[in-house]
Amino acid sequence: MEITHKEESGILLIALKGRLDGSTVQSAERSINEILGRGSDRLLFDFSELEYLSSGGLRVILSAAKEIKRRAGRIVLCAMQNYVKEIFEVSGFTAIIPIKDTVESGIAELQ
Amino acid sequence: MMSDDHTQKESILLVDDNPINLQVLFQTLEGMGCRMLVAKDGQTALTIADKKLPDLILLDIMMPGMDGYEVCRRLKSRPLTQNIPVIFLSALSETEDKVKGLNIGAVDYITKPFQPEEVIARVNTHLTIHRLKSEVQTQKDQLEQELKTVSDLQCDLLPEKLPDIDGLELAVYYETSRYAGGDYYDFSEMPDNRLGILMADAEGHSAPAAVRMAMTRALFSAYPSAPSDPADVLTYLNRHLCKVVEPSFITALYMVYDAHQQLMQMANAGHPPPLIYHVSDGAVTTWSMRGLFPMGIDLYDHVPVSEKKLEKGDRLLLYTDGVTERFNPAGEMYGEQRLIKQFAAGPAGNTKDILDGIIYDVEKFADGQSADDDQVLLVVVVE
Repeated sequence: MEITHKEESGILLIALKGRLDGSTVQSAERSINEILGRGSDRLLFDFSELEYLSSGGLRVILSAAKEIKRRAGRIVLCAMQNYVKEIFEVSGFTAIIPIKDTVESGIAELQ
Repeated sequence: MMSDDHTQKESILLVDDNPINLQVLFQTLEGMGCRMLVAKDGQTALTIADKKLPDLILLDIMMPGMDGYEVCRRLKSRPLTQNIPVIFLSALSETEDKVKGLNIGAVDYITKPFQPEEVIARVNTHLTIHRLKSEVQTQKDQLEQELKTVSDLQCDLLPEKLPDIDGLELAVYYETSRYAGGDYYDFSEMPDNRLGILMADAEGHSAPAAVRMAMTRALFSAYPSAPSDPADVLTYLNRHLCKVVEPSFITALYMVYDAHQQLMQMANAGHPPPLIYHVSDGAVTTWSMRGLFPMGIDLYDHVPVSEKKLEKGDRLLLYTDGVTERFNPAGEMYGEQRLIKQFAAGPAGNTKDILDGIIYDVEKFADGQSADDDQVLLVVVVE
């Protein structure tokens, strides 16, 4: 699991690469918390290279969403591969976190 | 104070055929406050090791009769003594002698003539390592035992037997990945041949998930009336779970079957949708509905309920994602498609046979790769 982040015109972009599952959830959660610790309130998750996420992975994304909500900020997920998108749809998370098809439309949504 | 207690209890066995060497070693180490045991030959050393289980053994190599290498080999081959650290103490100073000693399981090798400070320092180091290892092992055993207790308690929370409803036959499989887990199923038998079926999966594993599972169960059993409305049941569970499970969540589906009308109703909060085998055309479909997020995150505005009229011979399969997310050694996932295929191919009739067929297929796919998550499968057949 590789996590990279950058900031673009006030939007914090976090890209997840690989598998977010039992073996990577804890370290991923720590990294994401650390990145969020810098205080951004507009967050875009780029899932274009995320291959899989477990229910523990969903929890990590949910925690991030709650943190952003606490800051009265906004969060968007984008560029999901089909399987990952299915997980979000089946689990009903699409109803609580907005999802966009591309990074560009994700950024546009947050501007 | 603690470490003093430990030191007093620790014992060291000195093994050397030369009484003068033994004397010198004894004097070197007696200031450490350990209990000292001595043996003048290999056989005696083994007998004392068995009886007294010392915390460390200082072992000479060249002895008449059984030599030090053989003593070490025998110590290492017995479960009782194999974890006792052995330090060789020998005039043999060639590298190959040392390597041989370390290869048969010694933790260290000191060449004679030795410096007393060096012996004391090494003995101290290995006693400390041995003590820490035992402490870690004890704590690990204790944790395993506690987890096992949680798991046993948890199994007590599952229904003791399957419900007896006219026109419905059920079979269930429940397996936690590592003792305790977050998966849960339950039934509620209602008047007029109606049955409530709850399946839930608290995110995560082990004790925290087991606690969330137990809370869900307690809430369900405290439901204030007959749990005949799927939307009300999930709304109620969610309202209470929202107060306690953060930052985690629980996926769940609740179904109510009315045997008179052969009507199944369902509300689903983020749980994998059940599969339906239609006897009319032998096809398997996924009973999907508009997604509702899992319980414990936020209150629900509205819980949608879907209903299906079932025919005699129709089958339903409810499961948790631990089944579809089983991996094989190549890193591939079992997935919903394989489950659909297996469910469609399942034998007619006996629910237990249908269930066994699925379990067999999943295990065959996993090919020995152990499960990361809990797994529940529930087969329901309309009769």
